[in-house]
This record gives sequence, structure tokens and C-alpha cells, in this order.
Amino acid sequence: MSKADAFTQAGKTAVLQNIHGTLQFLQRFPPFNQMENAHLAFLVEQCQLRFYGPGESILKPSAGPVEHFYIVKQGRVVGQRPDSAETTFEIATGECFPLAALLGERATRTEHKAAEDTFCLQLNKPAFIKLFALSGAFRDFALRGVSSLLDQVNQQVQQKAVENLGTQYSLNTRLGELAMRHPVTCSPLTPLREAVTLMHEQQVGSIVVVDEHKAPLGIFTLRDLRHVVADGTSDFTQAIERHMTQAPFFLSPDHSAFDAAIAMTERHIAHVCLVKDRRLCGVVSERDLFSLQRVDLVHLARTIRNAPRVENLVALRGEIGQLVERMLAHGASSTQITHIITLLNDHTVCRVIELSIADKGDPGVPFSWLCFGSEGRREQTLHTDQDNGILFDARDAAHAAEIRGLLLPLAQQINQSLALCGFTLCKGNIMAGNPELCLSRAEWARRFAAFIREATPENLLKSSIYFDLRVVWGDEQGCDQLRQGILDQVADNRLFQRMMAENALRQRPPVGRFRDFVLTRKGSDKATLDLKVQGLTPFVDGARLLALANGIAANNTLERLRQLVDKEVIERLDGAAYEEAYHFIQQTRMQQHQLQTRENQPYSNRVDPDSLNHLDRRILRESLRQAQRLQSSLALRYQL
Amino acid sequence: MSLFSWLRPHRPGLDEHQQVRLAQLPTAGALGENTLRDQRWVVLDLETSGLNLNRDLVLSIGAVVIEDGAIDFSQQFERTLLRAHTKLSPSVLIHGLGPSAIAAGCDPAEALLDFMDFVGDSPLLAFHAPFDQHMLGRALKDSLGYRLAHPFLDVADLAPLLCPQAHIREAGLDDWIAHFNLQVGERHHASADALATAELMLILFSRARQQGLDSPALLQQRLSQWKRRKQAPSF
Repeated sequence: MSKADAFTQAGKTAVLQNIHGTLQFLQRFPPFNQMENAHLAFLVEQCQLRFYGPGESILKPSAGPVEHFYIVKQGRVVGQRPDSAETTFEIATGECFPLAALLGERATRTEHKAAEDTFCLQLNKPAFIKLFALSGAFRDFALRGVSSLLDQVNQQVQQKAVENLGTQYSLNTRLGELAMRHPVTCSPLTPLREAVTLMHEQQVGSIVVVDEHKAPLGIFTLRDLRHVVADGTSDFTQAIERHMTQAPFFLSPDHSAFDAAIAMTERHIAHVCLVKDRRLCGVVSERDLFSLQRVDLVHLARTIRNAPRVENLVALRGEIGQLVERMLAHGASSTQITHIITLLNDHTVCRVIELSIADKGDPGVPFSWLCFGSEGRREQTLHTDQDNGILFDARDAAHAAEIRGLLLPLAQQINQSLALCGFTLCKGNIMAGNPELCLSRAEWARRFAAFIREATPENLLKSSIYFDLRVVWGDEQGCDQLRQGILDQVADNRLFQRMMAENALRQRPPVGRFRDFVLTRKGSDKATLDLKVQGLTPFVDGARLLALANGIAANNTLERLRQLVDKEVIERLDGAAYEEAYHFIQQTRMQQHQLQTRENQPYSNRVDPDSLNHLDRRILRESLRQAQRLQSSLALRYQL
Repeated sequence: MSLFSWLRPHRPGLDEHQQVRLAQLPTAGALGENTLRDQRWVVLDLETSGLNLNRDLVLSIGAVVIEDGAIDFSQQFERTLLRAHTKLSPSVLIHGLGPSAIAAGCDPAEALLDFMDFVGDSPLLAFHAPFDQHMLGRALKDSLGYRLAHPFLDVADLAPLLCPQAHIREAGLDDWIAHFNLQVGERHHASADALATAELMLILFSRARQQGLDSPALLQQRLSQWKRRKQAPSF
């Protein structure tokens, strides 16, 4: 037997023990848990096991194109950019690196160092390439990196939904896929009777009126038919163009089901035309969107807007909870859900105001209903406090006091009615019924200017609530002027910005240098971390500060981040990372709330990371690390 | 009468092919001044029928290689030796090699030739090396008439030498595994134990480099000083 053969033989027998042990280790982690055994065995057989002491460099940018693929078998690897000592990421047991550099055949941009005693399995590049060719699961993972992890989470969420509801339906479905049927159309001169007959034959609720190029001119729905009949029209030979709704709202087939749902809710319509290259290619109805759901968004919004009494609104709150639950189950993202909740809450607030005015009589003074905080940012979850105020126009102080006297009783009743509808009364009394929050535009402006001028801790806290203001009901112009005033003053006041930055650094994301998470323990409770205060607040505070300092009027945190990227205040890659991280933490928080509701536990933002699955834990840790990065960039920008 | 016949007085068993292989085995030199990373090492673990140095037999050999500073998974050695007359002894409970596994093993002479081929001229590392050195030496002499001259370093000595702050007295392999929190699979299996020992060695080589002991010769030299000092009567 030749020496090489002997080695091969020896290798084969050894597979029994050590290779098998390493194989089992790898099978605990993605993507290895999805790979075929033979491919995995090939990987392990080609591996070398290396040890790195604390601080020892594993890969660095100066070393040239990456020649190996690494899997952390034990210990922890951290990444550091050459220009700073800041840790940009952390790689723990079972995770691998550096995929992007290896696939891009370039050097790594980040120095990889062992943070503690660390063992890595090292695979040489030819073996990596062979594995890449052999295993689909591995290739998929390598190509998509961490975003494929996020996809896996989303798949998990949707899979759960499928198990619960037995449906593949998702709010992210392209509208083009939903509109299966050919749209029913007619020309503008078609007699009414003929058009209705066509609708009846085809069993549809709408007919689109198109020109000779198939461009939609109008839409005629059953609701329009009701009007025609109610109006007493008896001449059904009239052309349909006299009765149709002109210039119907349309989206492209590439828009999502979510976009259509939002459009229907906002515009109070039940049909959306799909138009591509100015040609009609489909119609999506409310029924198409929600045929699988018992409660639907559009219907719910309409019921809220038409509720005859506050008691009806109270009853409808329960349905909002169910809707959210179902949407989460259907794979809606946290952003979509906060958007929907905000939309429905806004409808509720508007209806409460209208009902209160009807009940107490119109005060006869125009006013705008403001909201602050998370409601102002359109980031509400199901359980929410009231943070609201009233803005009105007055000639002078005496006039303002007079108007205040008129509005306060109404405001107080609105606050009480909202409390009945599930908007908890604000403990800090930030409510329109409070005389200090029912102010004329001049009074608000003076108040906000004082926050910025005297940056006391109390004023900083208040600015973090009030400066996210937005109009829910009434004229928006006064509020826009107030906001512009804030932007001008903050942009001008570097000291205030610096104090806000300091404030934004107070809540440190709970990721440690030496451990996964830094948890706090209260009494005998399990150690947990607070997703809202420690996870979301750093993003919210950071985005607010940068937005105010750079003249961005948007309130929503993700919108602020996007605009900051457009203004090149934040780098595009960083902005995307922050957005993804914020999104994931919010999603985790909502799933947590849902679970608590189902188990009849009180709402809490605290989560025990051990209760999450491996993948979620890992992404949560990365997300919190992004919060840390945003904070470090603030510290650098304001030299804190 | 062959000139070499005295070399193998009790072993008529080697066929011609085996004779050739035996003659071609490389001889090991002394430990050199090259860096630790440049040295190929073989980490060894034996399972034996008991702890009696004169009577008990080697039942299986497990070995892994440290080359270029890393454990190379493509170079591993594992053989169970066919032993015709092993009695069932209590140590079977530790190594788990029952009579059936032994019976399925391969010819000891063949296995040992394979092993020495695998070792080449590399120095050997083992936990409690003197035991393995003695048992392997005796097996090689009995089965092949071969005199084992490869240098051995004892991991049980290197560990406390290089990690004086560990404060584990008379530590066994399990203690060191626990100390460094090593994740090992099934213990008391020759190749799994060899892998665990090799992982421990990777840490120890890293510590040795930090202490400026970056060559096999230096390491051996420091080790013998340390042993002498330990054995010297303290005043």
C-alpha cells in the first residue's frame, strides 16, 4: 500500500469519530443544518482547526485577497474598521466569515480579531469553491449572507401563519398576482343598462370605463348604481360616462397588497385599478384583498368613521386587535402594522372628536388636534397612551384665554372618550384637556422656543415628546409653521443639539463586550432586556436629533432615516442597516405583545433572549449592535 | 540466517512486503530550532487493556496532526488492533472496546506500520506521554522489532509550565478541558481524546509563543528545566 493510500484509509476510519463529532456540532447552526450530510462531511474533512488567543488577528485588510473561509467553533470574533477601535460586529459560535470578501475575491475591509480564546474551523478557498458548487443550501446562504437570515425569519413567521390559517396569503403579494381575472370594461358611451348587465353576467362589483387604448377613464361600481337608483333615474339608456367616477385611482401591478389596502383605507374606495404603461390590466377589489379575513381593514376604517356613538367605537377596538393579530400572522411587517394601527387610531380620534362636538355643541372656533410622541411619529402599537394637545389661532393673550375657555370642556370630554376607547390617560397629563396644552400658535411657539433656549433635563425630555408633533384633526397649516420654527431654531443652536445628543446616549443598547446581552434582573424575575427603551429608543432619539438638526420635517423614524440618507447625513449602507435593525426589534416587540395577549399576561416590552430561537437571538444581537453604532456616530459627531 | 533475525526473535510473522515497509520507515531527529508553526506534530492517544506497563497491550491508536499551526482534519489516524487473547478486563468500561470490536480490528503489525508511516519523522505529543511512549514502544518492539526513538513531549507537563496561573494540581486531561472550556465530543475514545489533547496543544502553543518559546527545541529545553526544578528539594 502506498503512503498516500494509507493516509486515505486512515482518514476514512477516522471519519467515524472526530469528523462525526464536528459534523454534529455544525448541524446545530444555519446554513449547515440545511446541508446534506455528504457535503457537510466533505467540508469537515477539508477543514483545519485553528486557535487564536485574545486580541490575535485572524484576518486583516492589509493581508490581501481572502484565502480561507472560517467557522467559529468556540469563542468570539470581533470586527474592527481600520480607522477606529470601535467594534462593528461580533461573530459567535457556529457563525462564519468573511463571505463578502471571499466571494468578491478581495481583502476584508474589517480586521477580524479573536475577542477571547477562540477556535475556528478554516476551509481553504478551493474547497470552499467546490462546496459552493456542490451544495445549494450553502450557496444560497453564502450569496445572501445575513439578509438570508432575515429572510429565514420572515419565512418562519409566514409559515406559522400558514399553519394557523391554512393560507398562503401575504400582504406583500404583488397585486398583479392577486388580480387573476380579466377586468370587465366598456366604452364611455355604453348605455347604463348594458354595463350593469355585463357586471351582472360576470358577477363583478365594478366595471372600468376605458378609451380605445385601454386607458381607464372612470369606474362604475355597485355603490354608484345605488346612487343612480336612489336619485330616481329611470333612463337606463344614458351613457355610462355620466354616472361613473372620473379618473379612478390606480396602482401598478408591481405594488403590494399592502399598498392597495392602505390606499383603500385612506381614500374610502373599494376598488383599485391596475395600470401598466397607461393600459388597464386588472382590478383589485376589497374582497380580493381580504377574502380570507373575517375583519377587513377598509371595512373597519369605514365602520369607525361612521360609528354613531362612542360605545360603538369602544367595541371596534377589539376588532383592531384581531386585525393586527391576523396581519402579523399573514406576514405583515412591523412597519406595515404600525402604519395600520396609526391609520385606524387616527380614524378613531377623528370620530371621537366629531361625536364630542355633536354632543357638546360646536364651540364655534376652528382648532387643530395635535398628537405627540409615538402617535406623532406614526409608530403606535396596540397599547398606547394619550399624548395630545390643541392648537388654535388667537389675536392676543386675552383672546387666547377666551378661546381656551371655550375649548377646554370639549377637550376634556374628548380625552375621557378616548380613554374609553383604549387610549390610556397620560400619567404626565400631556393631554388637550390640560390648559397648558390647549394653546394658541403664539403660545406654542413661545413654549417650544423656551425648550430649545433653556436645555434643562426636563426641557430635553419634553422636546423629545413634543417635537414629534402632528395634526390628526383640523387644519395643518399652523402645525407646519410651528415645526418650521423648531427646525430653524434647532439648526441654529449647536448647544441644544449637543445636549440632545447626550440625552440620546443615555439608553445604552444591552450588548456587552464579553457576553451576548447585558441583562437586568429585577428581584427574582428572569434576566431580561427592554426592547423599547434599550432597543428602539436609541434609533428614535438619534433619528430625531439628526432630522431636527438637518431641517427634515418628517416625524416617522424610518422616514427620517431615509431622508437623512438622501441628504447624505448618514451613509446609505448605514441607513439601510439601521432601518433593518429598527424594523427587527419592533417586529420582535410586537410578536412579544401578541404572545402576551394570547396568554393573558400584562403587556411588557421586556424579553428574555433565551426564549428566542437561535436565529432570532443572533439577529436581535446584531440589531442592538446597530443601535450602538448609531450612538457612537452621534458621540463622534458631537464630540461627547 | 538473516543478519536482522536477532531483531525480531519472537516475530516470524512479517512478510516480505512488511519487511520492506519496516526498512523504509523514516527515523526521527532531535527537536529543532524551527518555529512551532513550521513543525509537524502528531498528537497521540492509546487505549490499552490496562495500566500495567509490562503486561497490558495496546488495543487502539488514535492520532491527529498539527501542521502549519492547525489541526488538519484530513490527516487523522485511527486503528483498533486485533488481539487474539485479550481477557475482558475492567478497563473495557473506560475505553469501551469490547471483545467484538477487538476481534474486528486489524493485524497489529500492519496497523503499527501504518501508524509509523503516518507519524513519519514528526515528534509526538500525548497527555501523560511516558505511558504512551512506553506502551507504543513495547508494541512496536513486539510486533515489528522496531525501536521507537521519536521525541515525545508530555502535554500534562507543558500545560502547567505554560499556564502557571491555572492552579490545578495534578490535573488530568478532563481538568484542562474544563479549564479552557473545550467542547469535546465523546471522551475515552482514542481519536476523540487525541483531538481534545490537540486542541489543548493549540492553546499551549499560542501561550508558548507569547512567552517567547517559539521553537520545539526551546520548548523542550524549558520543559526539562522546569521538571528539574520541580524535582529539586526545596529549601
